[in-house]
Amino acid sequence: MLSALILLPLLGSALIAFLPTKIEAKQTRLIALVVSVSVLVLNIVLGWRFNPELDQFQFSEYIPWVEWLGLNYHLGIDGLSLPLVFLNSLLTFIAVFSSSKSLRRPRFYYSMLLLLSAGAAGAFLAQDLLLFFLFYELEIIPLYFLIAIWGGQKRGYAAMKFLLYTTFSGILVLASFLGLVWLTGAESFDYEPLRSHSLSVTSQLLLLTPLLIGIFIKIPIFPFHTWLPDAHVEASTPISVLLAGVLLKLGTYALLRFAVGLFLEGWVVLAPWMAILAAISALYGASCAIAQKDMKKVVAYSSIAHMAYILLAASATTRLSISAAVFQMVSHGLISALLFLLVGVVYEKTGTRDVDSLRGLLNPEKGLPITGSLMILGAMASSGIPGMIGFISEFLVFRGSFPIFPVPTLFCLVGTGLTAVYFLLVINRVFFGRLTEKLSQLPPVRWTELVPAFVLTVLIVTFGLQPSWVVHWSEVQAVALLTGG
Amino acid sequence: MTDFLLHTIWIIPLYGLLGAILTLPWSLGIIRQTGPRPAAYVNLLMTLLAFIHGTVVFNSIWTQPTQQLVFHWLKVADLDLTLAIELSPVSLGALELVSGISLLAQLYALGYMEKDWSLARFYGLMGFFEAALGGIALSDSLLLSYALLEMLTLSTYLLVGFWYAQPLVVTAARDAFLTKRVGDIILLMGLVALSSYGAGLNFSQLEAWAKTSPLPPLTSALLGLALIAGPTGKCAQFPLNLWLDEAMEGPNPAGIMRNSIVVSAGAYVLIKLQPVFTLSSISADALIILGTVTAIGTSLMAIAQIDIKRTLSHSTSAYLGLVFIAVGLGQVDIAFLLLFAHAIAKALLFMSAGSVILTTSNQNITEMGGLWSRMPATTVAFVVGGAGLVALMPMGMFWTFQRWFNGSWEVDWWLLEILLFVNALSALNITRVFRLVFLGKPQMKTRRAPEVPWPMALPMVSLTVVALLAPLAPIKWSLWLSPTTPLVLGNELIIRSAVPLLLVSGALGCLIGAGIPLRRAWARPTQVTWRFFQDLFAYDFYVDRLYQLTVVAAVSWLAKFTSWIDRYVVDGLVNLVSLATIFSGNALKYNVSGQSQFYLLTILLGVSLLLWSVLNGQWSIMTDYWSSIATQ
Repeated sequence: MLSALILLPLLGSALIAFLPTKIEAKQTRLIALVVSVSVLVLNIVLGWRFNPELDQFQFSEYIPWVEWLGLNYHLGIDGLSLPLVFLNSLLTFIAVFSSSKSLRRPRFYYSMLLLLSAGAAGAFLAQDLLLFFLFYELEIIPLYFLIAIWGGQKRGYAAMKFLLYTTFSGILVLASFLGLVWLTGAESFDYEPLRSHSLSVTSQLLLLTPLLIGIFIKIPIFPFHTWLPDAHVEASTPISVLLAGVLLKLGTYALLRFAVGLFLEGWVVLAPWMAILAAISALYGASCAIAQKDMKKVVAYSSIAHMAYILLAASATTRLSISAAVFQMVSHGLISALLFLLVGVVYEKTGTRDVDSLRGLLNPEKGLPITGSLMILGAMASSGIPGMIGFISEFLVFRGSFPIFPVPTLFCLVGTGLTAVYFLLVINRVFFGRLTEKLSQLPPVRWTELVPAFVLTVLIVTFGLQPSWVVHWSEVQAVALLTGG
Repeated sequence: MTDFLLHTIWIIPLYGLLGAILTLPWSLGIIRQTGPRPAAYVNLLMTLLAFIHGTVVFNSIWTQPTQQLVFHWLKVADLDLTLAIELSPVSLGALELVSGISLLAQLYALGYMEKDWSLARFYGLMGFFEAALGGIALSDSLLLSYALLEMLTLSTYLLVGFWYAQPLVVTAARDAFLTKRVGDIILLMGLVALSSYGAGLNFSQLEAWAKTSPLPPLTSALLGLALIAGPTGKCAQFPLNLWLDEAMEGPNPAGIMRNSIVVSAGAYVLIKLQPVFTLSSISADALIILGTVTAIGTSLMAIAQIDIKRTLSHSTSAYLGLVFIAVGLGQVDIAFLLLFAHAIAKALLFMSAGSVILTTSNQNITEMGGLWSRMPATTVAFVVGGAGLVALMPMGMFWTFQRWFNGSWEVDWWLLEILLFVNALSALNITRVFRLVFLGKPQMKTRRAPEVPWPMALPMVSLTVVALLAPLAPIKWSLWLSPTTPLVLGNELIIRSAVPLLLVSGALGCLIGAGIPLRRAWARPTQVTWRFFQDLFAYDFYVDRLYQLTVVAAVSWLAKFTSWIDRYVVDGLVNLVSLATIFSGNALKYNVSGQSQFYLLTILLGVSLLLWSVLNGQWSIMTDYWSSIATQ
């Protein structure tokens, strides 16, 4: 069952890659769509059969692989990974759906896209540290190509920067994993047995430090974040959606699963500093976002700010805050995907994302009124207006962290306040005001282009009103994470 | 049947929401053939339903004890978030007021917004607005109230920004949102803290918790201040008051709601939070200071305005300042009375002002005059509204003020002085505006001024009647306006001369307002001192410029600074490392000379370095270190 989640996109990717050249882009896209929809359906079935009351891995699959190395093909799913796997399949579908129908080199593109999705799914499902690392690295390759080939003007620079940063991150994570197995003398890289190690706090800290730096690059946390705005700006819209919605979550997932799950004692020692770092990162991202002129950069920096809340929640290590961290991942995934999609629509129709040259796009006849309305909604969701998922996830993060770290939490709350500032500045400039002459001949937005945005909007509002539908998946697991193996 | 309606009371706010959702086909342009009108009718119908439902329940609630309906919303770990609504004469009375005024305002909008191309969007927003307000009236949970206050912030933003193509509207909408958001974020901080300190978030739980709270004084003071911040923004109190004035750029029917009920919604939450403020004397003092500063400052600002809506909006802040003082003093009953009297009077004044604006297409009162004979209903509405606001006639505000000196509590002289001041200036302001707009000779823009059409006249006249009858409400339904005990009508006045003094202040204000020379054109006085004061008041004490120079400048400087750091320091460092790598790679490639002597030299150097470390015992440092880790 779980293997299918990885194999299906993998096979789809291979199939598309070996299609004859005369197959048209449209048909290639159709195949990719079918694959992503079937993964999504599979995921829904999985969610149906998943029992959130159990505090252990479910649907586990174990195949011995390279036994002398201690590497085994071991998959499992629990409340921590289920929402993320789901998010991955949903956003993959949306990314395929919103990819342009007339791409250059469509077979390569869709094949890489599905490979990326398979890599992310594998990383979320892996129950073996080395297997996780393999998937973690696997996902870098397709993303590099996706940015370097279908990106914007400075795509070479951005892709290389992304590649170097994330590879470095991977090396650090690997170093930490190897160190852990070496120091504990474990026989394999299997996750569960490793949790019951009895390392001293000093050696835990020694292993935790490279792991955390690796994770912080991926999330990203200040000062390791500069690859992200470049990558987002250069990547095309569907790739940005996946990057923000899924791939950043690999970092926070690793944070919870490995940093908190494996080195709890060491993590608690570092936690006060981590909370402060989270506050700095949140405020830094927010205030950088205010000064940006490129709409995509605003959303990218906003991502940095919002991902920092997960670090805050993780450092509080209460049952509530860990559940909140998972919830915030889902919330950020949905909201940032929506915002990137809409910025993409604006870019496609107007040819620019520059805040200073856009004006009055809400104009009902010649502008982009529905895109604008959805953008207002997305911005409000991101700034934490109640009734949408952003509010309740952030509220739970803050409520979970406040008793442990009151001052960093209050600073993060200020960051939430600043969210409204930068998004309102963008909306006021881009969508309000009088439509300029230059922009009065925009091509119309077709309904199909907005379908993904509507789907995300519905989810954002539904989960905002019924948060327990998301939270109850991960509640039990949050406890299990904190109690040790 | 009544029982059923009582227990489905939570549906009432949803009527408005449903109305808002039903306008979508028109506002999204899916239905074009009918024009946007049907959307308006749907909304009116929904509001009417809400009003009727509310009335039935309101009539039956008198015989029932206060009830609570609790909804379990979310339970995570040790946190149990419940949303509660309260069924009591007070909450249902407030709900009735909301749907009543909303109904009138929407009917009024039918005429006022007739020619607007996005009528459907306007009605959608109004429905949303009404839903949030109705929810706040019923809510008995701080979390729910907070959520709904944010909905109000959002819908205020959208309503103020309704005519988004105009530059002033754009800044007004932004300022309205951000100013309120500042207050809301601080309120959220208080909310998170309250919840973390173990208090339940329902108001009744908060009250019980406040009695036994073990918080240290500093914490409780900060908590109180944080909780005050939200209503401060919502009620347009100093230092978050300027948005209301700017928000007058929005459509007038929304202005009716905003100045009467929306500001009251903030105060309503404040009143519900009153038990928490008793924890620390600092928060009570802060309320009184904020209220006093705002009441005095905005009263002064109001008398120098020449925009008809702005003259009224500043006075809204002033009266809400009085509500703050009342809550700070713990006199919740008076706060409710003030809100009620003010809401009715201000709604009426805004309807009248809207009629004037629509007919003359002008908001500048110095260009008006002589409208009384042309627009009799509007004139009557203005007079009645004004009389309801000023404690001179035996109308709403008079009875409220005299109750203040008629209860079983302590009232100091300073309070009377503030009331006298606000009352006098308010009377002066109303008289001044009345003279400029309705009396005198007609000017260019007021010569052809027919009375407004019936969709506007009907709600205006109905509200005039309501305003005339409003003083009876607190007497007939005393429980409506006081959640705790019925108002005590003491025989002894606390300050004997209070009521006569109030009357004198009102009369004095009217006389001054009637006597001062009015300039027909916008001209500044020639005397330096007068000019200084007029400018000072007219430009809102230059507070907005102060904000520009402090908060706004600080945030934008910080943003530019961090962005610079990000680009040149953090990212610069990264690029420097990569440049250094490329450079060193380029430099080292000259090592690959192809000459075997050079390679031999390199090997020799390396081997001798290794030998040196083994022979000198340097090697053990590394081996010791790793083995020490391994044995741990």
